[in-house]
Amino acid sequence: MKKNILIVDDSESIRELVGNSLENAGYFVLKGINGKDGVEVLRNFDDNVSLIITDLFMPEMDGIDLIKEVRKDSIYKFVPILMLTTESQAEKKLEGKKAGATGWMVKPFEEGKLLRIVKKVIG
Amino acid sequence: MRSIEEEQEHTEVVESYLSFKLDDEFFAVDVKKVIEILEVPGITSIPLSPDYMAGIINLRGKVLPLIDTKVKFGLDPIEFSVDTCIIVIEIEVEGETLQIGTLVDSVLEVLDVPNSNIQPSPSIEAKYRLDFIRGMIRRDDDFIMLLNLDEVFSIQDVMYMQEANENMSSAELTEK
Amino acid sequence: MENLHNIYLEEAEDLFSKIEESLLLLEKAPDDSSLIAEVFRSMHTLKGSSSMYGSNKVADFVHNLETIYDRVRGREIDLSQSIIDATFKSLDHLKKIVQSPDIPDPIDAIYHEKLTAEILGLLDESEGTDKITTQTHSAKRKTFLISFTPDKDVFINGTNPILLIDELTELGTAQVFTYMEKSLSSKKYDPKKCYTSWDVLLVADEDENPIKDVFIFVEETSKISVDKVFDGNLLSLPEFTSQLPPVDLQGKRLTLASVKKFISKVPKEVLESKEEENELMEIDVTEEVTVEETQKSQGSEESITSIRVSSDKLDELMNQVSELVTTQAGLSMYSENNFDPVLNAIADNVEKLSRQLRDIAFEMTLIQISNLFRRFNRVTRDISNQLGKAVKFVTEGGETELDKKIIDSLADPLMHLIRNSLDHGIESREERIKNGKPEKGTIKLSSYYSGAKVYIQIEDDGRGIDAEKIREKAITNRLISKDDKLSEKEIFDLIFVPGFSLAKSVTDISGRGVGMDVVKKNILDIRGDISVESKIGKGTKITLGLPLTLSVIDGLLVKVQETSFIVPLVDIKKCFEIRRDELSNDFNELIKLEDDKIPYLDLRKEFLIKNEDAPEKASIILLENENNRIAVCVDSIVGEYQAVLKPVGKYYRNQEFVSGATILGDGSIALVLDAYKIIARKIVKQKKSA
Repeated sequence: MKKNILIVDDSESIRELVGNSLENAGYFVLKGINGKDGVEVLRNFDDNVSLIITDLFMPEMDGIDLIKEVRKDSIYKFVPILMLTTESQAEKKLEGKKAGATGWMVKPFEEGKLLRIVKKVIG
Repeated sequence: MRSIEEEQEHTEVVESYLSFKLDDEFFAVDVKKVIEILEVPGITSIPLSPDYMAGIINLRGKVLPLIDTKVKFGLDPIEFSVDTCIIVIEIEVEGETLQIGTLVDSVLEVLDVPNSNIQPSPSIEAKYRLDFIRGMIRRDDDFIMLLNLDEVFSIQDVMYMQEANENMSSAELTEK
Repeated sequence: MENLHNIYLEEAEDLFSKIEESLLLLEKAPDDSSLIAEVFRSMHTLKGSSSMYGSNKVADFVHNLETIYDRVRGREIDLSQSIIDATFKSLDHLKKIVQSPDIPDPIDAIYHEKLTAEILGLLDESEGTDKITTQTHSAKRKTFLISFTPDKDVFINGTNPILLIDELTELGTAQVFTYMEKSLSSKKYDPKKCYTSWDVLLVADEDENPIKDVFIFVEETSKISVDKVFDGNLLSLPEFTSQLPPVDLQGKRLTLASVKKFISKVPKEVLESKEEENELMEIDVTEEVTVEETQKSQGSEESITSIRVSSDKLDELMNQVSELVTTQAGLSMYSENNFDPVLNAIADNVEKLSRQLRDIAFEMTLIQISNLFRRFNRVTRDISNQLGKAVKFVTEGGETELDKKIIDSLADPLMHLIRNSLDHGIESREERIKNGKPEKGTIKLSSYYSGAKVYIQIEDDGRGIDAEKIREKAITNRLISKDDKLSEKEIFDLIFVPGFSLAKSVTDISGRGVGMDVVKKNILDIRGDISVESKIGKGTKITLGLPLTLSVIDGLLVKVQETSFIVPLVDIKKCFEIRRDELSNDFNELIKLEDDKIPYLDLRKEFLIKNEDAPEKASIILLENENNRIAVCVDSIVGEYQAVLKPVGKYYRNQEFVSGATILGDGSIALVLDAYKIIARKIVKQKKSA
């Protein structure tokens, strides 16, 4: 069965780019356009999401709050969460980590790296 | 189906044409351009349009303009009989593909005609506009005129006529 | 990929206009923190997506801008006019270079450099008063020893230690040593636990911090040490690497001491040469440590819960829904004529559903007019600067929704009208002061609903239109004669006559061949109307009245002989029934309705239909449009009808009366009459006969 990955980013182009790469690699991709939307999508899919990739800086609900929200729910306690950051933002990463993120990726990244990391996280 | 080699060997291309009648004359159009043939439904005529614009009909939810092919060829307007048909054809107008309905007295048959059997249209004794006729097909004692559809139904003609009308009316206006 | 790239470009376009819009508002309220946050976030997003799509020049360029706004956001600097100006220039430039991110045009490339310098200059300025510490560090190669022994339960919270090692190796050149726990027997092996540890020799330009950052997720539970062992690239020295132990899962771990020992065995000259190399490579890299505060969304932020659908698909949906509505009308008619309670109930339901569906589909094709207004914001600013006029551009009612097709066809005429206001309406600063007007002129673009129509107004407080001058000019152009008595409104309407141009000189701004006649034609094409009000010295107001949609029309179904016609309801004032013989063949063609003599048009006569089969009773429809009232005589009125408009096709596009067709429930066609043209025709006829 295909694994579901949720990508949350307010930038459509990044959602599509990441989404396309993942779809081509055989994953099923869900998309959220901001934190709030992401949480909603997640809830609709219950515990079937294997990985969440989220941007940090988004309107409505940012990435950190998304992570906090997701971790609140016992079903999602162990779902890996990757943060997308634009540069090394130490503070932000730390905050994300405290909130319960699993790791991060720095934009820009190559498709190869993305898939490698995703593969390592969820196999 | 004939193989490609055979076709090349013969260097003979046979194409199909749909023949129809206007008064006592025979005409034909390339079958590839014909979408369908309809019986005449209720026609809504548009007031004050040129004579050869025969109105519009409802073709499965689409509005299809009708052209009285006879008027277009300088004959008397069509008189409706049981044989009257609408040939729905596809033409290129200003780079767009349009569908129009052409009214004809009767539809005859589909002919397979080798290209070599198509003769150039006679320049002398031209009853119809030369650019309308792509060639002639001899059949028994009759000649069938092969139509150049894009020319016959070119919108340019329509536009010219309408422009002429408009110029006239605006001339009337400024005259005052 | 092509498609993805288009999404990127579209998104960039959206972001540009978002930023522009916010900036224009910021010019008026430079302290609005939510706006600043909005600009910052848009830039941030733009930077992110640009870098992902390989437009590094764009990303770098935006990065600098973003930094400025980050500082504005952190209240470290104020949003100055020069920053705003530079941002506008940058946006223009960005619009260009997102299309060709390699900047192949040398002129663009030079401009790119110039703008970059300007922005860096602004950044420098801001640093003068800067509270933030910008770290300056050199890109010196350093070699680190990193030891990482993860907690055995590291997998539980989703961490994959290999990922961290990967991340680490991406910081530079690395040699990785992996070890497995020695006393591991297969019996005790628990696949959920981690028995591996790593030592990494990493050569990187970074300081220790980014390296430590890699481990922030596991630092509490794992044993991690990061030590700088050498100021240079040890891994490029065979004298060093040759001493390293082979990679052996059960091998001895590297320690700071053991590495130091290896270093000490490398000849001094070799080490020094490596250090020197570094000196030469030293470049100053300024890097800001951005401290991002999680800004709680302040409610003012735009909530986007929408999806993007191509307009083709929407059009297709509208078409299908139109078909459905037509088919449904057929069903309803059939069910009415065939008494069958079950069928009636079904038909009623289908009717209800299709109406709801139509309303929803229709709503989906509506977009807010603010999308259009936004464009003018920017243009107005640029043109007024170019003209040296001070203009305040105000928009109102941007939330008004209109059919996308209408909005599309409004762009040109509105642009023209606004340019007219800027060019001819608003006076120069000096003139305004002299006349005791506020130095800054105002152009207001507003939109509102009224009845079944949407109105758009362009209002300026400029010099107004001189009715007398128009009259004079119309007389010179022989549009009217000296003796014609025209109302002020009629005079203003003359500016819409083809070839009538009021401007004395053709300026760069609005004199480009397109006149008010074209504006009017464009508006008429979308079934709208246009009118002018103006007071000398006070200003001009142009009002456009537009239908909500082009695809559905509320009309009155009428018959003339056998043909059905639809008359748009908006144009109908009243209906009367008369006896046909009341239409005396009087030369003036006037009919008395409610004590008023109104010119009439008999459609039978107009359409050259013989009167013989005309019913004794006829119906009169009173059309009103602007200030003209015309009575139209038809055979009978069938009732109100909601018509789905279909084009009659190119062949009839110049047809005077008919603006479209619709298919009735019984499959027959009704022609949609263009009331405006009917009125115009009657007026022309009247003038001719007068």
